[in-house]
Amino acid sequence: MNTHDFTTTDYAAPGLTEGIAQVVALDGRGIWLVPEQTGSCGSCAASSMCSAKGIGTVANRLEARRFRLDENPAELIVGERVVIGVRENALVRASLTAYAIPLVTLLLAGALAQWRYGSDLVTMAAAVGGLLFGLAVARIGADKLLARGDLLPQYIRRARPGETCNSK
Amino acid sequence: MKEYFLLMVGAALVNNVILGRFLGLCSFMGVTTRIDTAVGMGMAATFVITVSSMVNWVVQTFLLQPYDLAYLRTVTFILVIAAAVQFTEMTVKKVSPPLFQMLGIYLPLITTNCAVLGVALLLVAGEMNFIASTLFAFASALGYSLVMVIFAGLRERMALANVPRLFDGPPIGFIAASLLALAFMGFSGMSTTG
Repeated sequence: MNTHDFTTTDYAAPGLTEGIAQVVALDGRGIWLVPEQTGSCGSCAASSMCSAKGIGTVANRLEARRFRLDENPAELIVGERVVIGVRENALVRASLTAYAIPLVTLLLAGALAQWRYGSDLVTMAAAVGGLLFGLAVARIGADKLLARGDLLPQYIRRARPGETCNSK
Repeated sequence: MKEYFLLMVGAALVNNVILGRFLGLCSFMGVTTRIDTAVGMGMAATFVITVSSMVNWVVQTFLLQPYDLAYLRTVTFILVIAAAVQFTEMTVKKVSPPLFQMLGIYLPLITTNCAVLGVALLLVAGEMNFIASTLFAFASALGYSLVMVIFAGLRERMALANVPRLFDGPPIGFIAASLLALAFMGFSGMSTTG
């Protein structure tokens, strides 16, 4: 009889893209987290200039990206750093929804107007109209992604001391 | 139609922003460790480059050129790019806060991406009409995204390879980038003048 060693790991399943976040508040059973800088080198967030609070700074932008997890699975406390993950293909789907749809409608509207009227002003107006239409479609698409749970981050584990998004 | 097609092929492949003009190298080396992050950055950059180039064309045609303010071009374009990034950020946040949480981190990186300014300055040199300049910017950004994704794929494979310790990390990345640039030089034989 031909036997195989089966494991519970499904290698065909999409993996998780990991990132590090810090617990900033507890809220009933849920927790609020702020993601750490995930720039190309990560050193930007460490510099005193970039970490300064204010409009447009990295710290300010990260605070704007605060998110909530509905459960506190490991009884985390404020200040703890954790590894979180989103589905691997979620980033691609989100990018296509947020950027590709408005861009395609913008270009299509602009190209059609140019072909039909041949005037720069009409083309500009049509492109802006196409962009607004695309944003409306993107909103519907984003709602669908959210309803499917594709955009929700998941708790994975506590981060090791000194672990960064670039750590192996 | 053929003229626009050739313009786009030229902008995306023959004079690729990264491998032909050597712009946007910071994000090219920094955000290409995974394919999905490269796609995210590429899409965000494509959106910002296209929108900011449209606005820059309007500013150049209706403000800088008629009033002979060419010396303000670079400063004005930088301002427009920063505004376009801010607009994109606000729009994504308004359209879908979860999308903003996922994608917002790429936008600050684009503000300081020289490819965005480079494309805007190339448009001025090209003296194109509105639709041609928009398509040129879009194609340039697509070329940028294409190279980002190809390079991310190469780096994902290199991460599994047995690379000598001295070459591990950025050194082997630069060698791969140079080989990729050589491959793209093959497109330079294509005529895009019609």
